[in-house]
Amino acid sequence: MSISLQSLITMVDSWLGEGKRVLGPKLVKPDFVQYAWLGAGSELQLEGFLRPANSIKEVVFPRHETLYRYRVDGKTVQLLEEDFKPVETLVLGARPCDAAALPILDPLFNWDFRDEFWNLRRKAVTVVTLACQSWDEQCFCTSVGLGPDAARGSDVLLYPLGNGHFAVRLITDKAAALFGSYADEDHPDPSPGPPVKFAPDAVKEFLQANFESSFWQENTLRCLGCGACAYYCPTCHCFDIIDEKSSRVRNWDACQFALFTLHASGHNPRKTQPERQRQRLQHKFRIYPEKFGEILCTGCGNCTRNCPVGLGVLNVLKAVQHG
Amino acid sequence: MDNVYRPYLMKVLEVRQHTPDVKSMRVAFQDEDVAARFSFRVGQFGIFSAFGYGESTFNICSSSNWRGYLEFCFRKTGRVTEALWDTEVGDTIGFRGPYGNWYPMEAWERKNLIFLGGGIAMPPIRCAIWYALENRQRYGDITIVYGARTVKDLVFADELDEWEKHERVRVIRCVDPGGETPEWKGEIGFVPHVFERANVPADNSVALVIGPPVMIKFTLPVLDRMGLRACDIYTSLENRMKCGIGKCGRCNAGDCYICKEGPVFSLEQLQKLPQDY
Amino acid sequence: MSSDSRAFEPKIIAYVCNWCTYLGADLAGTNRLEYPPNVRIVRLPCTGRIDFNLIVKGFEVGADAVLISGCHPGDCHYTAGNYHARRRWMLFRPLLDVLGFDLRRVHFTWISAAEGKKFQQVITEITEQTRRLGPYPYLKFTKDGGAPNWSPPAARPRAPVHGEAQMRETARDLLASGAVNVVLGYDAAGAPAFAWKPEETARLAWNENARTNLAVYLKRKEIRALGKIGMVTPPETARALNVLERESQVDREQVVEIAVERSAEPPDFSALESFMALPPEERMRFWIHEFERCVRCYACRAVCPMCYCERCIVENNRPQEISPSATIEGNFAWHIARAFHQAGRCVGCGACAHACPAQIPLGLLNAAIAKAALDQFQYRPGSERGQEPLIGRYSLNDKEDFIR
Repeated sequence: MSISLQSLITMVDSWLGEGKRVLGPKLVKPDFVQYAWLGAGSELQLEGFLRPANSIKEVVFPRHETLYRYRVDGKTVQLLEEDFKPVETLVLGARPCDAAALPILDPLFNWDFRDEFWNLRRKAVTVVTLACQSWDEQCFCTSVGLGPDAARGSDVLLYPLGNGHFAVRLITDKAAALFGSYADEDHPDPSPGPPVKFAPDAVKEFLQANFESSFWQENTLRCLGCGACAYYCPTCHCFDIIDEKSSRVRNWDACQFALFTLHASGHNPRKTQPERQRQRLQHKFRIYPEKFGEILCTGCGNCTRNCPVGLGVLNVLKAVQHG
Repeated sequence: MDNVYRPYLMKVLEVRQHTPDVKSMRVAFQDEDVAARFSFRVGQFGIFSAFGYGESTFNICSSSNWRGYLEFCFRKTGRVTEALWDTEVGDTIGFRGPYGNWYPMEAWERKNLIFLGGGIAMPPIRCAIWYALENRQRYGDITIVYGARTVKDLVFADELDEWEKHERVRVIRCVDPGGETPEWKGEIGFVPHVFERANVPADNSVALVIGPPVMIKFTLPVLDRMGLRACDIYTSLENRMKCGIGKCGRCNAGDCYICKEGPVFSLEQLQKLPQDY
Repeated sequence: MSSDSRAFEPKIIAYVCNWCTYLGADLAGTNRLEYPPNVRIVRLPCTGRIDFNLIVKGFEVGADAVLISGCHPGDCHYTAGNYHARRRWMLFRPLLDVLGFDLRRVHFTWISAAEGKKFQQVITEITEQTRRLGPYPYLKFTKDGGAPNWSPPAARPRAPVHGEAQMRETARDLLASGAVNVVLGYDAAGAPAFAWKPEETARLAWNENARTNLAVYLKRKEIRALGKIGMVTPPETARALNVLERESQVDREQVVEIAVERSAEPPDFSALESFMALPPEERMRFWIHEFERCVRCYACRAVCPMCYCERCIVENNRPQEISPSATIEGNFAWHIARAFHQAGRCVGCGACAHACPAQIPLGLLNAAIAKAALDQFQYRPGSERGQEPLIGRYSLNDKEDFIR
């Protein structure tokens, strides 16, 4: 049994009616789709585009989050913490490269210290993923151990059947109540996915051997140091903590910004953009894998597509691969 | 919810001004249960905060034997430290910690200890010195060489006098040439040169060296010439930090997160780190 | 009549200069000229010191109207502070306007130390007017009804003119002769590309994909360290070089321009004009919707040749004037600052809007100011070498119709 687009739209409306939040692909401009909070089932966009321009990480890692508030009263301070109860959230129409990011980041947010903002939000999110049938030049999920119907991080996988219907594959029990009646053992063969473009192990070795190297200047000189790659990346997790409006808040941050590692003394370990680009590649393809056994990248291609100068990680990885 | 970013509320017990722009503070846990069970090891750091201004990272510069309070030392240099500068006794600040690793005080037992520090790097050495003095019999000879640009820049200068009174403790104070006053009785010169001139015996010794990069650069060869091995020389690194718990992705030097696998490193470990700090 | 037991009492914030308006307010007080207590006075040394950001901050903290007032032209205690302020306001109001601020709530006056009566009149009138207008729910518009249905009209194409072969040849010659160490151009996909050797110039292209303004690379120290560079220079890049040169940011001797052309040149204000046909509340609702997508990646800042500050205003935290948080207030504050810092400097290359990964039409903000610069001052940034700056100069004859 398959599920129709109309049924999905109806489900979205009923979830919204129950007070749940739904994140899904939405046509925010003519010809431009992003994951956005849906206000109605009719806003859901599942066809006619490759993948949304952004990632789904906001559902577990918001761009701006209050860690706690406080009241300063002369010499005394009172910490004000609300009961953190994330609203039940569904992501409908994620891509496999978005969903896989969530389990990849779990070990970091639980590295000795458990970040309950992350954990509680994770528990409250159900991810319904759409298997991919097409890809473009920037996609490279198959190079990092994923593929067009990779199930990592998903609770349900939907396979487009081409007639406004989708085959349903239950991956976890989380969505059994919602999708169980549509579930089918039968689903289309997965698409082959983009050709493999590099070998992560070879990249890791290269990164180990080439920390100090002219490679970085040669291949990343056009980077202008914005945060587009990091903020649209499903797996980038760096953040800043500041005080604002009687609260301590956490905001996304990016290693590409010039002041990211600036010391109070004025010393900056990464004074040049090539050094900062080096950090990005090292972190994603060597450091994170060594620490947590996961590549901090799902091959979604967002970084390259959103980069104002068309850089992203793929171009650098190709340069590594081709010597 | 167990909020891992939530600070302890600390009452400021004492504020000491050391130089025109350096102060240290003694703070106590407001929650008595926490005060009773809190412990740390010398070398660890904390993230202290001025509510309304932000958080900042400082080494805990008090001895781990001192119960009920912590001390830290800072230079007035930015938004948070300016707010801390204006903080008075009785005010409330925040503290998260203890984070990071610690000096291997157990491994250093029965050894001679050499402490070399420059300028505002005295506080992270001070905690180790007090700890060693409080467990005097466990350690051999103690040599402290501490210098600053001028007499006015010496931090915890009064405690140097106290340390000198302990048995088998040799304290050498120095200021940069031109930094002395007419009354200055200590050495004149940079820490590496003053240390070399002091002819400290090198046998069975470990060294803790903390200071500005230029001081470290010239001190390491002296220690090497003395015969100390890379595994016997330690330092405490700094890097810009925010979360202190390995999540914000900011403080790594290569694959080493200073907040988790540091800030204390032996020279042997340091030599494996790329120039990323 | 409202059945509310507490009728609406407007909150007015008045930023006034110390030497004239503040003393004028004082005089009103000593002469027992009553004026409504609704006004909170913020004293600054001079209107020239009043940051445009303060107007926005006033609304952020809940003001229903904002007044800015200072010495009459010619009477400034610091000689010319109010002239600078006047010119700044002439360019800032159009930015507030395109963002949909209710300009009936933003007032500018000249009130001297002797004009206690005028102060009383102005405050009384502003209070009454604001009471009639009602509270100002700055940024609190609900999203009911969704975003206004507006799309920009099709832009006049600015296609590159043939010149690719010529450009490659020039680039090749420059490298072969050693006149430059590197040539900076575009590849076929429009991404910036470096050619280090003559044969590498074969991959340089000049086509409709080229949208980055290559002058931006002159702010990167890694690029300046390369020595003499050749740069593919369409008209917008040449204009940017003029502005950067005037601001002492570029040594023209170090840049060899490889000129290329486009079929049409700004200004094209058709999108702006179409947008300004919407009523102000619709405009503001539009931006509230658009800025929801802004994650503060600062791609707009990174691609702009004119944004070369080593420490951007948003990275200052003493004080934190612009919130770095991607909230609606923070995003409004950031985009207002970004656009206004380009006043009289933006060359209309459109790199910012093109770079925005969220497709926010940032060009409208820059265009609003550029149109004001053209209409009011006949000024086009970068149109000639050695051009005087727009903000930073003033004329005794600057004409406006909004300062009372």
